[in-house]
Amino acid sequence: MSEKGHMTNTNSALRRQNKAQRLGRLGKLARGKFVSPDKVPQVLKRIIESGDILCLEGDNQKQADFLANNLATLDKKDLHDIHLVMSCITLPAHIQLFKKGMIRQVDFCYAGPQGTAVADLVKAKKFPVGAIHTYNELYARYYIDLTPRVALIAAAQADRKGNLFLAANTEETPAIVEPTAFSDGIVFAQVNEIVDKLPRIDIPADQVDLVVEAPYPMHLQALFTRDPAAITDVQVLMAMVALRGIYEKYEVQSLNHGVGFNTAAIELLLPTYGERLGLKGKICKYWMVNPLPTMIPAIESGWVESVFAVGGEVGMERYTAARSDVFFTGRDGSFHSNRAMGQLAGHYAIDMFIGASLQIDINGNSSTVSKNRITGFGGAPNMGCQPTGRRHPTKAWLKAGTEANPGPGSPPGRKLVVQMVETFQAGRVPTFVEQLDATDPSIRKALHGVAPVMIYGDDVTHIVTEEGIANLAACRSIAERQAAIRAVAGYTPVGLKRKKRETENLRARGIVQLPEDVGVRPAEASRSLLAAQDIKGLVRWSKGLYDPPPQFVDW
Amino acid sequence: MEKFAKAFPSSPLQAKTAKPWALAGVVGSGNLEVLLEVGGRPSDRMECHVETSIPGYKASWLAALADFAHNYPAGGTKVTINDQGAPPVLVNLRLRQAYDHLIKSNK
Repeated sequence: MSEKGHMTNTNSALRRQNKAQRLGRLGKLARGKFVSPDKVPQVLKRIIESGDILCLEGDNQKQADFLANNLATLDKKDLHDIHLVMSCITLPAHIQLFKKGMIRQVDFCYAGPQGTAVADLVKAKKFPVGAIHTYNELYARYYIDLTPRVALIAAAQADRKGNLFLAANTEETPAIVEPTAFSDGIVFAQVNEIVDKLPRIDIPADQVDLVVEAPYPMHLQALFTRDPAAITDVQVLMAMVALRGIYEKYEVQSLNHGVGFNTAAIELLLPTYGERLGLKGKICKYWMVNPLPTMIPAIESGWVESVFAVGGEVGMERYTAARSDVFFTGRDGSFHSNRAMGQLAGHYAIDMFIGASLQIDINGNSSTVSKNRITGFGGAPNMGCQPTGRRHPTKAWLKAGTEANPGPGSPPGRKLVVQMVETFQAGRVPTFVEQLDATDPSIRKALHGVAPVMIYGDDVTHIVTEEGIANLAACRSIAERQAAIRAVAGYTPVGLKRKKRETENLRARGIVQLPEDVGVRPAEASRSLLAAQDIKGLVRWSKGLYDPPPQFVDW
Repeated sequence: MEKFAKAFPSSPLQAKTAKPWALAGVVGSGNLEVLLEVGGRPSDRMECHVETSIPGYKASWLAALADFAHNYPAGGTKVTINDQGAPPVLVNLRLRQAYDHLIKSNK
């Protein structure tokens, strides 16, 4: 055996010893793998050491909230210099850890609901951030330089051996458990209940060290439910323009949709407007998307071949189980998701990513970060980028590639990366800006010089607004790209700077297209085109199988 | 409340329209109403009258109307807009809808 190999074995033995010591400190606090809820703070104190890389499971949907809340009852004297790694800073308990000064460094992806609190922590210099990551980027680092010593995770059920069932919300659990378990780290799971027999095993007991039956079920956010009643005529217009000018033009077969109302409008136009255009069977067959309730009419109308998801969606459990011909399901018949694999699929295997953003600058860079709200990204940058490792052709990929006029050193194809935004946000705040708030010096400084750009302008192929489509991929210079963006930026300060002659030149070359240019009649842009007018309509389409969360039920 | 009027250069409207006038949208909170009428005004001007509940956006209104007059042959029409705080993104859609109704029959 080589010297290097020998060294590695020794280190690995030390790490293993250390794990045994930590578990050994538990004494009677655990019965085998099982811990009673009231003992959790003491258990956490004994299994976590100051200086550890600690992973707290919590994405934009499911949360190991019982374990997080217990961790937040500890203090700096119990634990300090923790290097926290987690995809989403979502709970007040997460913020507490920073306020108490327990965290030496944090590496994360997204801070949606706590975005304001994070911005405040940054201002108070209490947020020692390494970097804001995309999901798969962070999971990848769990295998390289951010391997957790302890992972606190959440599961639906455990059996008496500690096998775990993750139900619809598998999400990122495997991506956390594997690197932790296979590096002699400690995996501690909170479960909603302990049962004799699991419907299916998602995580083998072998990879689980401790289990607690939490006194309340893990927090699950209904993140992808969009009420059709809130979709506007303008969004219907944009959806029609996108369908004709992009979906139809490129014959987009595989895709990811963002979570906004714009793409929800597209989903609800497929069985009506899309059907009339004769597009059924030609577009939108393969999806990497969560089980969006607004997909139900398209699925029921036979548009969709398959849907793989990064997560579940509250209320879609019975529907997805009933449509296992479309959704991925376990042997038990229930829904299965996987965030890391879904992100991988969305990166390499789809023709198009289409989503929205809060700000787009004149170069096409986009961000959801403002000085007072640091949200980060999550999945969009992984899917909203050009995967230069891609080699397989599809019609859409080749067509978009040809249009982009690739050079001798670039791939022949291109993923369609589409930003679909209204030129103004609520409250007359312009979406288009000369410079992103994300480039603010204070934010850059906190992030070691990196502005948190969600999708880079170079990766974007199209921007769709209520004014029309700008085909950025077909632009031949930066100046031309800026002119194309101004042309669709409406009456924002950025849009008002456009020059008539430039816009006309771009329109003559098909780089800028008005709704009429792609065959859309504005007179038709009305909510009445939507396949479902409200949540109740979706329930009807699902034949009663969709159970909307209470906040969406008004009948 | 703010009120203003201006005429913008525009190519003449097609000789035969589907109807003498067309309406899009409704006057209601967060919405607006656009009335487009064919009349005997100069055939190379689109005459606009705007009444809006939210003052301070005259420059944007004028820019949007100028662009519309430039992009669509609407010379010889009179546009009357009653705005109750519609989001800016809705203005152009309602203009296009009224124009569409005016020139094309709805089968």
